[in-house]
Amino acid sequence: MIKLEDVSKIYKGEHIALRDATVEIEKGEFVFLVGSSGSGKSTFLRLLNRAEIADKGVIYVAGKDIGSLPSYRVPYLRRNIGTVFQDFKLLPNKTVYENVAFALEAIGRPKSAIREAVPQILDLVGLGRKDGSYPHELSGGEQQRVSIARAFINRPLILLADEPTGNLDPATSVGIMKLLDRINRTGTTVVMATHDRGIVDTMRRRVIELDRGRIVRDQARGVYE
Amino acid sequence: MAGSFAIRLAASTNEQKGSGPDLVAIRLDYVAKETGSNLVRNITLTLASVLTVAIALAFVGVSYLIGVGIEGSFGGLQSDVRMFVYMNPTATQDQIDSVRKALEKSPQVDSIVFLDQAETYKEFKRLFKDQPDFVESIDPKELPQSFRIKPTSTDSEVVSAVGKQFEDLPGVYRVEYASKLASDIKRSLDTLNGWITKFGLALIAVSVMLIFNTIRTAVFARRREIEVMRLVGASNWFIRLPFIVEGMVQGLIGAIVASGLTWSFDVLWKRNFVNQRGLDLLNNITWESSNLWIAVFTVLTVGAVAGAIGSGVAVGRYLRV
Ligand SMILES: Nc1ncnc2c1ncn2[C@@H]1O[C@H](COP(=O)(O)OP(=O)(O)O)[C@@H](O)[C@H]1O
Ligand SMILES: [Mg+2]
Repeated sequence: MIKLEDVSKIYKGEHIALRDATVEIEKGEFVFLVGSSGSGKSTFLRLLNRAEIADKGVIYVAGKDIGSLPSYRVPYLRRNIGTVFQDFKLLPNKTVYENVAFALEAIGRPKSAIREAVPQILDLVGLGRKDGSYPHELSGGEQQRVSIARAFINRPLILLADEPTGNLDPATSVGIMKLLDRINRTGTTVVMATHDRGIVDTMRRRVIELDRGRIVRDQARGVYE
Repeated sequence: MAGSFAIRLAASTNEQKGSGPDLVAIRLDYVAKETGSNLVRNITLTLASVLTVAIALAFVGVSYLIGVGIEGSFGGLQSDVRMFVYMNPTATQDQIDSVRKALEKSPQVDSIVFLDQAETYKEFKRLFKDQPDFVESIDPKELPQSFRIKPTSTDSEVVSAVGKQFEDLPGVYRVEYASKLASDIKRSLDTLNGWITKFGLALIAVSVMLIFNTIRTAVFARRREIEVMRLVGASNWFIRLPFIVEGMVQGLIGAIVASGLTWSFDVLWKRNFVNQRGLDLLNNITWESSNLWIAVFTVLTVGAVAGAIGSGVAVGRYLRV
């Protein structure tokens, strides 16, 4: 599903954020990216949906070399990749329903399809009754659920999560991890960057550790350290 | 896409093969809604650019009409004609042809225009339109046909020397010269025309810049939405189109106001000057209604294009997709 061959990313011509990364992630896997702050986790994820372009090496997503994708094709790549962030990136002037519907409007889905899909996904993330609330009326965990609903509503092949529990307390984080696990069980490949030792050690999934841009460990059913 | 209007912006190809643009369906209601809410959100900036466009284009429209009017009232002088060769009303076609050949051969002649009886009569009617009795009394057949000549030199002595060569040709009635005053007026009008054109272009440039600024502000105000749209895979044109349309709408609204102003100018001018006696200079400056339509059409086109350019550049610079 995802394959990196000798991939390097160098910011501003000097700062090497990722060095010669070679790794393959199969369809349906759940992978943790761990490493200290600045080790290149976000860069790794940003390369996968072409928010950044690799300076060296080749990245395949679903069999396609995404580095050679013309820019007008990039949106179609992103429709197959859901993304979740630490800061949720919800639109403050839209309700929960509108925030999720926005992801479908933006790719030109008809209203009838949107009216059907949004309540379903909100039920799935456990926010069926909060559809009229605004983001500032929700807890952090609820906001993250909205952002996951938005990322997953297109049933993407891949879900990228960049420290999704970074702003949440441990109890709330457990709920978010259960949700991501459920999504993973539908066949969606999940790649999650995290600092959270407890989560990694409990889940016991594949762990890829980065250190100053290098992959220093790749372990099935791994632990944080 | 049942139930929704779709514009197919790009040819549909098989997405799996990745061999070209996928069909991009953009719902018109979406674009209309986004454009509308953007226009309202930024009402002050929008008003400023619409007003500037209106003033710039009204200036363009009105000066075009006045230009046409002045050109008409000065007749042949406008085109650098400095010499007239009038033929006898009885001159034969052979005589006319040989004068034409002689003129064409002369190295001192830059260009010539021949006015036959019908055209001469038309101009005659226009020049004496406030003396219909006089016009009635003239038979078109009695009017002399003429050549209007633009000599290569503007020096009046050289020009009259050139004219002498044609005075005695068979069939020629008389050679006349544009007066020095007329050519001076003509030169001043050309200069003035140049300045008005530059000023008009500068006003249009300012309009484009204001639209650019409004759209840049709108892009900035919506950067969160744009970020999310990019994240969920909205196509580049889906993100850009509402902003481009917004710029064009601003240009067009300004142009519609400008068209109204130009039209009112047309009505007021004709009511106050053209149909009045006594104002000899001004009531000669007039234009056809077709000129008004040309002005309105130009104003609308320039408005839409200025809006598209201003917003296009803003989107290209500030909306990385
Ligand atoms: N846009 C950028 N421009 C320049 N340097 C960057 C940029 N993004 C990240 N970096 C640098 O690249 C390195 C890796 O960053 P990042 O991938 O964000 O790491 P992590 O997510 O593991 O904290 C850091 O040293 C960071 O300062
Ligand atoms: Mg990071």
